[in-house]
Amino acid sequence: MTMLPSTGREEAELVAQNASADRYDRFVRLAQAIFGAPIAALNLISKESQFTVASVGYPKGEIPVEDSICRVTVEQDHAIEVRDLREDERFASLPEVAGGPRIRFYAGTPVRGQSGQNIGALCILDLVPRRLGRQQLEMLSDLGALLERELAVQEEMDLAGQVQQLMLPTSAPDIPGVEIAGRVQPAREAGGDYFDWFVVNDPDGGGKRLQVGLGDVMGKGLAASLIASEVRAVLRGHSRYTDVGHAIMRTSTTTRHDLEASDRFSTLWVGRLDPSTGALDYVDAGHGLAIIASERGYRRLNQEYLPLGAPIEDTWTRASDVLAEDELLVVVSDGVFDVLDDSFEQVEARLDDILAPGLSCQQIVDGIVDFAVSNAATDDVTALVLRRVATAGADSPSAPSTF
Amino acid sequence: MSFEEVDKGTHVVLAPEGKFNMVAAPPLKTRIDDLVAAGKTHLVVDLHGVDFIDSSGLGALIGGLKAARQQGGDLRIAAVGEQALAVLKLTNLDRILSPYATVEEALHDW
Repeated sequence: MTMLPSTGREEAELVAQNASADRYDRFVRLAQAIFGAPIAALNLISKESQFTVASVGYPKGEIPVEDSICRVTVEQDHAIEVRDLREDERFASLPEVAGGPRIRFYAGTPVRGQSGQNIGALCILDLVPRRLGRQQLEMLSDLGALLERELAVQEEMDLAGQVQQLMLPTSAPDIPGVEIAGRVQPAREAGGDYFDWFVVNDPDGGGKRLQVGLGDVMGKGLAASLIASEVRAVLRGHSRYTDVGHAIMRTSTTTRHDLEASDRFSTLWVGRLDPSTGALDYVDAGHGLAIIASERGYRRLNQEYLPLGAPIEDTWTRASDVLAEDELLVVVSDGVFDVLDDSFEQVEARLDDILAPGLSCQQIVDGIVDFAVSNAATDDVTALVLRRVATAGADSPSAPSTF
Repeated sequence: MSFEEVDKGTHVVLAPEGKFNMVAAPPLKTRIDDLVAAGKTHLVVDLHGVDFIDSSGLGALIGGLKAARQQGGDLRIAAVGEQALAVLKLTNLDRILSPYATVEEALHDW
């Protein structure tokens, strides 16, 4: 017997590890119903194990590959059936055939992974000998092909989501005097929400500034994430050379064609902070969900400008504020606002939670995102929180820890 | 999700119902595009039956507005619910897509 190339085996193990609890259950349920079999399963075959990642009438889990029936199927290029496993020397002594549950009949179709190699099999089992016949075996193959497609799409989506996550800033910005954290929880694998931060040189020669932003491209999923990546990258490029207002105007001009062609718009809030003084320039392009909060209350940092991609060009001129040392800058996406019934009274009512003493920016961000997710947010959910902290050398007994 | 459509000659009234979201918005947008292409460029979207609108719904309205204006027409919205008003206001899109209280008011100068 030839061994399956190792890449297929490794891929099988990866897919098995990433398979969510019930993602492929409907395929095995369908197989069970179509063929009237008591057991149907999707088994992935790695070097050492068979992983049952979806099943009916049979427990999910892992068994040694030597005890697997599907290990034979993954080495075929077509569906197979075995009328009576007890009469086939390849299977007669397997534990599940010789002992409980005393499986007699097997039909399975190989399932390919992204590599093009077989990684497992969709199978049906019965406790009595039987025969499917050519037509039904073809149906089993068709179902296997559908499942392959599902696996492929899922893997693509997962990868897209991972790439999008990798585009988010993860390390603290290289500028003293700030603590910052952000998090995106897309409704699907990828989404139209993102946040960003990076250090730019003030175009007026004032030194280093921290630019932060949060954008929300209309819609959800992969299509929205493509546009979000574009807006993010274009804004990053323009931000190096000019103030936030002009950076947004140029970003609008550069992305206009793509936004219009896809009938999408993007809300965007961008701020640029001098951590040493708290001076904050910002532009609100139809986002509306940035506040500065402290124990003294909160104020919104919103303007009247349209989102990018609206039918008319706006002027997007920067406004200014000052972030005091005891204040928090909080920017969220409408996925958070939705669970607050799109109401600022509700925002105000929740302020104590984010202003509780001793919380790090990361804890505040997690608190906001987890709150939205646990309240059944249906949209992408994003939060960005920033505050000034005393720089090294300064007297600061209560400086919050950075991550 | 379906929507009512009434052709009044001088204008067409479209009335989606329920959740105007990423499921419901594309068919309405497609219909608006078809109407505009057929010369029906004065459109009112009656939102009285809509209890929730998301950004995809807004996108369809903005896209429809753009299509209508490009052909010398307009798209107006009427009977906008509280949630939709809040979303329009938050995004400042009420500046270009003004909400009218009733379909009749939306028609005032057509």
